[in-house]
Amino acid sequence: MALALAPPALLVVVACVQIVLTHRTGLTPWKGGGFGMFATTDGTQFRYVRLFVDAPDRSEELDVPPSLEELAARAQALPSTGQLERLARAVAAREQRKRRPAETVRVEVWRIDFAPGTLQATSRLLQQHQFHVHGQMDSTGR
Amino acid sequence: MYMGKWTRPGGEAAPAELVLRLTAIELLLRPMGPWFIKPVILLLAGLALILPQVLRAPAIWLALALLVAGRLLADWPLPDNHIYLLAYWCLAAGLALRAPDVRPPLALSARLLVGLAFLFALLWKAVLSPDYLDGRFFRVTLMMDDRFAGAVMLLTGLSAEQLQQNRNYLQPLPEGAELLHPPLFVEPPAFRWLAGSATYGMLALEAAIAMLYLLPWHSRFESARHVFLLAFCVLTYAFAPVAGFGWLLLVMGLAQCNPEQRLLRFAYILSYFLILLFSEIPWADLLVQGLEGAR
Repeated sequence: MALALAPPALLVVVACVQIVLTHRTGLTPWKGGGFGMFATTDGTQFRYVRLFVDAPDRSEELDVPPSLEELAARAQALPSTGQLERLARAVAAREQRKRRPAETVRVEVWRIDFAPGTLQATSRLLQQHQFHVHGQMDSTGR
Repeated sequence: MYMGKWTRPGGEAAPAELVLRLTAIELLLRPMGPWFIKPVILLLAGLALILPQVLRAPAIWLALALLVAGRLLADWPLPDNHIYLLAYWCLAAGLALRAPDVRPPLALSARLLVGLAFLFALLWKAVLSPDYLDGRFFRVTLMMDDRFAGAVMLLTGLSAEQLQQNRNYLQPLPEGAELLHPPLFVEPPAFRWLAGSATYGMLALEAAIAMLYLLPWHSRFESARHVFLLAFCVLTYAFAPVAGFGWLLLVMGLAQCNPEQRLLRFAYILSYFLILLFSEIPWADLLVQGLEGAR
């Protein structure tokens, strides 16, 4: 009978870790096994990713291409340095494949806040990360 | 001898068969995971449906738990919460099938899993979320989420044009920008009522279910447990587009029924297939179209 307690115990552990991750890494409350769905507008529906590529004679914002949508969705849900770095590297690799110059790739994750009462919508930067194609990376938090 | 522990149930498994079969149906109805996980889940769930010895084998359910956990890791952080619950549930089934009597441990796991899932959902809504209790979440979601559009128009009288106008209003402007003619937000009393009912009705229902499933009282409130869980599933999943969650909750509710509670078991099975119909028939959209056609 004691073994029957193992799955509920696992649920509690994962849900507690999820709460910590939402506060420390910006994980959306909708994901991660903490049962925060349908509790807040801070879900992936109201988060979005912006991609910027810079090179000599080039400074451009890119649309998220279909091939990178899944990586972008992961970065939206969990804007950790690791997820943003993966997305930035994938953007850089794609630019190289297309033979377009790219020295730095900046990934930004934004969320939309709704004001109490009026529901006036405003965008807020959650996390950004810069990837230097030939060098280091740097991130700034929320 | 050792293998037999994992391939045959430890004891009487017949009362749990329906519960396991409905779980296998859910696994087949909502295929999940990358290419190296999905076909194995489908194969095991399909075999469990047609072969009783596979259905009752602890190893099959432990393997399914591992496969669902593998899907969670492969797709991290994107899977929805009910996929986690499904992994715990498959694990609970695998462990219970090794017991001398399968029903009691399965019922205990089911009761605690339901209670804890609702407790954490309640914690998020009532304490951790900054925009649930003031009604913002449902006011925004009911307007913006296309999956609720039919029901919103049906229940509040908002037209498709007004809904679109409100969606425009809820779009953020670039920093510093101002529109010459900003869109108005149309929020009729019926919409306010719907958003308020959803906000506080959901909260009350989740609080009641968490309390009924977690507090250590047994027979006196047992029927209330079932009534609240059935009501939650039928009301919520008529609108919420997450049939998989509803099926799982119903299966775990069913796992707590005694074999002689035939009416209750029937209610769970009926609700299971009702949610299937809700998920496959756009009933609200069809009603809106029908009403518009009749005008």
